[in-house]
Amino acid sequence: MENTKIVNLIKKIAEERDERAFSEIFDFIAPKINAYYIKNNLSSEQAEELTQEVLSTIWIKAKLFNPEKSKFITWSFTIARNKRIDFYRKSKKSNANEDDIRDFLYENNKVNDYEIETIINKISEELDQNQQKLIKMSFFEQKSHKKIADELEIPLGTVKSRIRATLNKMQKFL
Amino acid sequence: MNSTVQKNELIFGYSSGNLGEAKSLFVSMYLHLNSLAAKRASIFENILANNLQSLKEVAPRNLKYTDCIKTSSDSEYKINTSNNPLSNFLGDLNNINWKFVYKGFKEFNLPFDDNDTVKLIKIDPGTSVPLHSHNGKEYILVLEGSFCDEYGEYNKGDMQINDQKIKHKPTASNKDGCICLSITENDIVFIGKFGSVLNLLTFIKSFFK
Repeated sequence: MENTKIVNLIKKIAEERDERAFSEIFDFIAPKINAYYIKNNLSSEQAEELTQEVLSTIWIKAKLFNPEKSKFITWSFTIARNKRIDFYRKSKKSNANEDDIRDFLYENNKVNDYEIETIINKISEELDQNQQKLIKMSFFEQKSHKKIADELEIPLGTVKSRIRATLNKMQKFL
Repeated sequence: MNSTVQKNELIFGYSSGNLGEAKSLFVSMYLHLNSLAAKRASIFENILANNLQSLKEVAPRNLKYTDCIKTSSDSEYKINTSNNPLSNFLGDLNNINWKFVYKGFKEFNLPFDDNDTVKLIKIDPGTSVPLHSHNGKEYILVLEGSFCDEYGEYNKGDMQINDQKIKHKPTASNKDGCICLSITENDIVFIGKFGSVLNLLTFIKSFFK
């Protein structure tokens, strides 16, 4: 979906509580969020439960989204990530609510997603496919180094050194 | 290991959501106080979020958009009014019940059910911490004031990472002293004249944790 369209839909949700606009956003983002949770090894029931929480949050906090500062996909990703963190903490006696902290940082963060886009593009040009895959497996899908080693059929030590090398490579641009 | 790499790894861990609760709070304070760190976190979050675009979608089977409106019961979002992530968790930082450790040095342990020990440290102006090393890693973030040691000067928003290889004797600035947030993965090891006494105290203290 095009960015201008997304921005328009979110605006309608925030200002007019437009349910039709929300249904379009739901169709766009819910299957992605749900897939993210399944990739993170949650059962399909848990994945859908958390997807529901993320979409409810988008509905409630639409007003908080600042299209000049953030990309919708990144904003949604961080909500999904925070729900996953809080989900795992539910089993323990938890002190801090990740969502609240994240909201605070979001409101006060001066970084603009569009201004750092050149850096992000440079990083993705610089990393080869294998390195991008490693970042994805380790930081997006939260796979353990052991699991990555098994899946890619390479030694555990190699996984560790390759991830470190990839982060080092990214460092130049940070 | 280069400490910038270690700081980035911590930020990346935060962005991906795989840090424990204590480290997570620590990094959120770091991002709050340090704009370069906040920028790095944003870069990494954007890179991770781009994976959502290329992911093979899985449509939820038992979830409709109306379910997400219904459950939220239209409760309006309230803007978070705390001053920073730490006060969101601890309340007013001016009302902390500091524990006296030795003259000029106070600390407050944060009640985390976590593998890492988190504490706030308050050092009066000009006070030094005896020369020590660390069994595991220690992360120190300056919240107020500044301190310096053999490796440099650390101001508000600066982070220092210490491990076994590092021996240092930090001294709080003469003007403001300093308040730091620290995370230790293992107890520190004191060296020097009072080293053995302090190590013994740390050892005895560990029984009361």
